[in-house]
Amino acid sequence: MQTAATKTTMPVPPRRHMKEMVAFLQASPFLLPALLLFTVFFFYPIVKVVYLSLYLTNSKGVAKHFVGMQQYVELFTSPDFIQSLRVTLEFVLLTVIPGVFIALLLALLLEKQIRGLSVFQTILFSPISMSVAAVSTIGLMAFNPSVSLLNWILSNLFGIPNINWLNGPWTALLAISIVTIWMNLGFSTIVLLGALRNVSQELYDSARVDGVNALQRLYYITLPSISPTLFFVFVVSMIGSFQTFGQVNILTQGGPAGSTNLVVYSIYRNAFFNFQYGLASAQAVVLFLIVLVLTLLQFLVVERRVHYS
Amino acid sequence: MERNQNASRRPWIRKTAMWTVAASFGLTALLAGCGGGNTGSDENAAGGGGGANNGVIELKLWHAMGGVPGQALQHIVDDFNKSQSKIHVTAVYQGQYDDEFNKWKATQGQGGKDGPNIMQVYDIGTKFMIDSQDIVPMQDFIDQSHFDISQLEPNILGYYSVGGKLYSMPFNSSQPVLYYNKDMFKDAGIAEPPKTYDDVLADAKKLTKKGPDGKVAVYGIGLATYGWFFEQMLATQGADYVDHDNGRTGTATQAVFNGPEGLKIVNWWKSLYDAGVDLNLGPVTSQTQNAFLAGKCAMIIDSSGVYGNLVKGAKGKFEVGIGPLPRPAGATGGTIIGGGSLWITKDQPKAQQDAAWEFVKFAASPQEQAYWTETTGYFPITKAVYDDPGFKDWLKQYPDFQVAVDQLHSSKLTYATQGGLMGVFPQARQTVQDMLQAVLLGKQQPQPALDDAAKKVTDAIKNYNLTVA
Amino acid sequence: MKENRVWLVIRYILLIIASLVVCFPILYSLLISLETSEHVSTYPPQLWPHPFHFASYAEALQAAPLGRFLLNSFIMSAIIVCGQIVTSLLAAYAFVYLRFRGRGVLFLVFLATMMIPTEVTMIPNYMTIRSLGWLDSFAGLTVPFLANAFGIFLLRQYLLQLPYELFEAAKMDGAGHWRFLISVVVPLSRPILATLAVYVFLQSWNMYLWPLLTTNSTSMRTVQVGLGMLQNQDALSWNLTMAGVVIISLPTLILLFFAQKHLVKGLTAGAVKG
Repeated sequence: MQTAATKTTMPVPPRRHMKEMVAFLQASPFLLPALLLFTVFFFYPIVKVVYLSLYLTNSKGVAKHFVGMQQYVELFTSPDFIQSLRVTLEFVLLTVIPGVFIALLLALLLEKQIRGLSVFQTILFSPISMSVAAVSTIGLMAFNPSVSLLNWILSNLFGIPNINWLNGPWTALLAISIVTIWMNLGFSTIVLLGALRNVSQELYDSARVDGVNALQRLYYITLPSISPTLFFVFVVSMIGSFQTFGQVNILTQGGPAGSTNLVVYSIYRNAFFNFQYGLASAQAVVLFLIVLVLTLLQFLVVERRVHYS
Repeated sequence: MERNQNASRRPWIRKTAMWTVAASFGLTALLAGCGGGNTGSDENAAGGGGGANNGVIELKLWHAMGGVPGQALQHIVDDFNKSQSKIHVTAVYQGQYDDEFNKWKATQGQGGKDGPNIMQVYDIGTKFMIDSQDIVPMQDFIDQSHFDISQLEPNILGYYSVGGKLYSMPFNSSQPVLYYNKDMFKDAGIAEPPKTYDDVLADAKKLTKKGPDGKVAVYGIGLATYGWFFEQMLATQGADYVDHDNGRTGTATQAVFNGPEGLKIVNWWKSLYDAGVDLNLGPVTSQTQNAFLAGKCAMIIDSSGVYGNLVKGAKGKFEVGIGPLPRPAGATGGTIIGGGSLWITKDQPKAQQDAAWEFVKFAASPQEQAYWTETTGYFPITKAVYDDPGFKDWLKQYPDFQVAVDQLHSSKLTYATQGGLMGVFPQARQTVQDMLQAVLLGKQQPQPALDDAAKKVTDAIKNYNLTVA
Repeated sequence: MKENRVWLVIRYILLIIASLVVCFPILYSLLISLETSEHVSTYPPQLWPHPFHFASYAEALQAAPLGRFLLNSFIMSAIIVCGQIVTSLLAAYAFVYLRFRGRGVLFLVFLATMMIPTEVTMIPNYMTIRSLGWLDSFAGLTVPFLANAFGIFLLRQYLLQLPYELFEAAKMDGAGHWRFLISVVVPLSRPILATLAVYVFLQSWNMYLWPLLTTNSTSMRTVQVGLGMLQNQDALSWNLTMAGVVIISLPTLILLFFAQKHLVKGLTAGAVKG
């Protein structure tokens, strides 16, 4: 991770403590507002969640019986939770990779200044402005095979037989994935487009002199140049996918037969309906650790190769 | 160089920002103007914390009614506020049942400051509400004011009565019925809606039509895999959902729906699906309603409360008929009431509780109930409504609704038709829905699937009982 | 030159196809909102409503005080945007330009806050807001969201791409951190700040569970809750619901339309590396 800040050398040892104090005092006004808010609204709840995961809770979510790691053991021996984890990982793969890929394609299409660009931009960014509730309600209509315009188009234009989207185990997950990709598309495209527009023109100019073709240019100049942003979009999409909830709640409620029962949805069910706040907390801790490890891996493996200016 | 660029960029940034703000505000103001009429004068009251001012007692009613029922409820509240000057009720929508219920759980134990005075809760929240001990049983008010409940529907009261005590006042009540497309029935030469499981299968086969491509174009039936239907179908066979007489004579300790009656339901369901005559659209009934209205299935099972909506949606396309909920041949049980009821919370001064009781009585009066049924299609909870001339006219307009009323009245009140009582009902319903889907998709055979589901529900009940005790 | 023209045509064709696919759901909801209730559920689906039926809009505005809700959503989102811009910019600045012990670890700790699903923190946060006496107020609606790791992460990635020489030059001129931040970093970050602002605005606009949980009166509700008020759980009225969807999405679409130009110009100014 060759960040810009490491370029300056560290001060001499004797006054190190003093220097550190100064550096810390200097940094604190910048960090304090966020740190304070995080402490109250994120760290405190996490501590509470970890605490609750060690207890059986009553119907109002108050810790009643200390059970230690029992709920964790229960989770990893429960076929439902294992299925839920598997489905979640499948879902993340189904949404992140195609999602970023499509957003990159759209951003490349929009990169060049052409006539009518602002119209295309507005349309292609538009998913960002729709709420989960709104999009999922549209999804209820679009995925119902008996009234679906989507199915009608698929069968009349492409000859694809009528699909009962939300009630096949495989197609239900696909439907949820499509909705999710669609919803994230606007943001990823905007951010990637911003990065593309900032790639140095000089690099392109020198490439032209060297007679590089379009694909080579993309691979050797564009992608490395936007790699920090690409990395950002990947990490954020992944975290977002792990937390997907609204679509599932409205479209499938985890069904059919658990095939779209993403971990967050199952946490929600356990916490709010099944009166098992403790178990839900244990699930939340497991999910948190998984996402944390995956993010750390991305930072360790990928950010090393990411090219900062 | 940088600075110059920035300076030259600033004006248009300001301009666009201003435009954006102006446009958003303009639109907002426009919409505020259009919709402002119904914000009403109730607003000041809502934030007030439900206390008394100027001698007027302010009450908050939480509910989960969106759309038409939401507006009808507001109408009843307005009627009540106009009918007297001592009590003022503010109805606040708190999201769908589940959201409202969860929110209520979170607001408990703060002296009623942020919580409601009156709360609408769905049927399956009954046991949880009783166990929470945060409510005052309706029976206390009935006894105290010698209120005559003989006019109220015993079959509706049955659900909300535990140990001979009425805990909440039924409000929106419905039962599942069979809706059918009369035109399709005529074309297929079927005179009557099917009454038994065998009839349904036979008729559904006749009604299923294949398109020119060999694919099914019209299904005989579209059966939502909604757990409520399974509960009802058990009751029609006189079978209980949980032990201890459906949780009515003692706290339930295990699920018992995996007996021969449950198996009969699941086998029948699977036979419909395997015969290719059932359109499986999952547990959400708005999906099967959509299919029914689009003419993609000839029958659906759904709540009696959606009748008005179906008639409206089918206008100009076909005629909607109602038949009773189908049952196995020879089954002699009845159906359970579903919907929601009004609860009075404990965390408030006695004067407010009494005021809340005044509203509950008002909402249960024949006049308001007639309006309620005519607008929403939910059953009236008082028999006096059937003598109301306006209501008689309404019934003439929707003659098929009589079938639903007859089904309600003909049910004999037993432990089975009173409905199961347990704290974890929302979870149980979801478990049964998953089970039905697993069977239809061929992931599990009916009996093992039922046994698995029953075991899961039993475990949940045990956990619940452990934390309530 | 001829090859360029071919590429241009291909580019347009692809853009048109992509646009059609992407805006399909929005168009679909618009078309359904203009149908009568009899025509909503038909197969084959009716593509074009005839005649246009605007009654659903009147009904939607009648069923819920959407105007008030829009105003509330607007105020709430605006507060959150301002808060997040400030907290994110400050923190991101510290992570890029200040050196202090544990910087990397602290950044990851910040980042970790993104990995907790809001469904999990909701109940503890509700208790906090309640004990602060902030229920049913804009403070309760906004304060928990005034800082977000996402914004810090986004800005950090952006600032890392700025040439470090700028900082050294400023230091030589004797500028301190605050002056450098305000006179160099803020102007240079304008495009990304705009992007962040738009994103945060839309995210806040689309919140559902939190506003529902922490507000108690109809007058403090936001548009997403309003959408629920249009829906009868037992019998969805599709045309009415879709009219609600269009009404609550319209302000954000308009915002996007104007902001989009802003974003694009900001981004194409190429101020970062010219």
